[in-house]
Amino acid sequence: MSRTLAVARMQLINKWTYIGWPLTILAASFLMSLAIFALIPVNEGKYGGGSQAPMWYFLVLGIQSMTLVFPFSQGLSISRRAFYLGTLGLFSLIALGMTALYLLGGAIEGATNGWGVYGYYFKIPWVTDGPWYATAAFFFVVMMFMFIIGFWFATIFKRWGTTGTLVSTLGTAVALIGLAALTTLLEWWGSVGAWFAQQSPLSISGWAALLCVVLAACSYATLRRATP
Amino acid sequence: MNDTIVEARNLFKHYKDLNALDNVNLNLSTNRIYGLLGRNGAGKTTLMSILTAQAFASSGEALVFGASAYENDSVLSRICFIRESQKYPDDFQPQHAFRSAALFYKDWDQQFADRLAEDFQLPLKRRIKKLSRGQLSAVGVIIGLASRAELTFFDEPYLGLDAVARQLFYDRLVEDYADHPRTIILSSHLIDEVANLLEHVVVIDRGRIIMDADAEDIRGSAVTVSGSADTVDAFLMGRKILHRETLGSLASVTVDEALNSRERAEALELGLELSPVSLQQLVVRKTMAGAGTAASGAENFTDDVMEARR
Repeated sequence: MSRTLAVARMQLINKWTYIGWPLTILAASFLMSLAIFALIPVNEGKYGGGSQAPMWYFLVLGIQSMTLVFPFSQGLSISRRAFYLGTLGLFSLIALGMTALYLLGGAIEGATNGWGVYGYYFKIPWVTDGPWYATAAFFFVVMMFMFIIGFWFATIFKRWGTTGTLVSTLGTAVALIGLAALTTLLEWWGSVGAWFAQQSPLSISGWAALLCVVLAACSYATLRRATP
Repeated sequence: MNDTIVEARNLFKHYKDLNALDNVNLNLSTNRIYGLLGRNGAGKTTLMSILTAQAFASSGEALVFGASAYENDSVLSRICFIRESQKYPDDFQPQHAFRSAALFYKDWDQQFADRLAEDFQLPLKRRIKKLSRGQLSAVGVIIGLASRAELTFFDEPYLGLDAVARQLFYDRLVEDYADHPRTIILSSHLIDEVANLLEHVVVIDRGRIIMDADAEDIRGSAVTVSGSADTVDAFLMGRKILHRETLGSLASVTVDEALNSRERAEALELGLELSPVSLQQLVVRKTMAGAGTAASGAENFTDDVMEARR
């Protein structure tokens, strides 16, 4: 247990990686969005997608924790289990912190009528329309999803190299296209559309969380036999 | 022996077209300095990776502190193995790497690490990926030394280090080992440089252990006899010859046997010259004898032998 905790602490030794850079990216994209909102002379709600910027950095973090931090952890004779739990624990902690920040930002945004310029950075139509906990669940799950998908792809890469990554990427693409083709063939698009229309941000978060759990479990199974 | 710390039994590691390890059996005991010697690609790093559970054997068993190291925290916490091509987190500086090591090694000595960093003139606050090859090696060497792990591996630790830094490493290693005995496995192909440090030598070639002996025993185990070719050959008739070189009517022959005092006296009477064989020469000769390529690549060592004859 203490070694698992130490894995998380180790990755916080350089504060920039997990705290400094995400906040910098958030601040930069926020200020840029605000400047653009201010420049648009419209006095009604303006929505931008800038708040997704840190999420892409999380994808990179997920990849790097597997390609660089994992080999380093092996050098310090840290078990794969301790590395996995410590890293995933750290992911969750950071995602939780960022979610809190997004909620706070959203609250201020609402109270100040979009920072005084009707610009909405944290508020996203449909996503943040529900109760606060649905919004929180959505942000948290999306952040975790970005981490985990990066981590998962990198485990595949570590274990099976470029060929493995290519095969799994193409395989995923082919499966998705096949599914779409099947849906078209069976004329199911109507029901699919209806299903999506029924979903709320909370239920989408639930499905995504399920996918996260599956991917995380796959990552662990792959990591168990990965070499640095 | 009771104080066995590493035990390898019938270890095999197959890659597609290569046996990286070919039935390796090994017993290493506590508190000694081992040399794991061999050519590049002989299997040194593979063996160390498997012992530390960083990699997996195709078959066979590797026990460290009496158990497999795989996912075994009580074993792993006593091992340090920074590989030659060690990777570090992207944003890490040497100081971060050292603070990380401090989290995991209970005997970590920060003052020692700082002193070593000064010795090696390592910039502590530069990103590791911007360091030179020698500085990168220094990071690994410092982690290996300051962690004071009961079982410490050094994987070709001198790469990119200049002569002064290498000597510093050897000196610090011996000093610290005297104060804090532990088991050290030094993988190297610069044999002459490390020969004096080693208490026990393991030579691996093409995945097989071809020599596993105490350094003391090895030092007297071979001898080079030189003189007129006919006399040398007559004198060494029937002995295990590792290497033979001739220059005109002169011959210089290395035998894989020790001579007793009567034989030594006899050799001197015959006007033959006896010279000791360095560990490096012995390893090279044995490796080449095993490979059956004694002819190729022998040139490098001709000088040594000629030197000895003069």
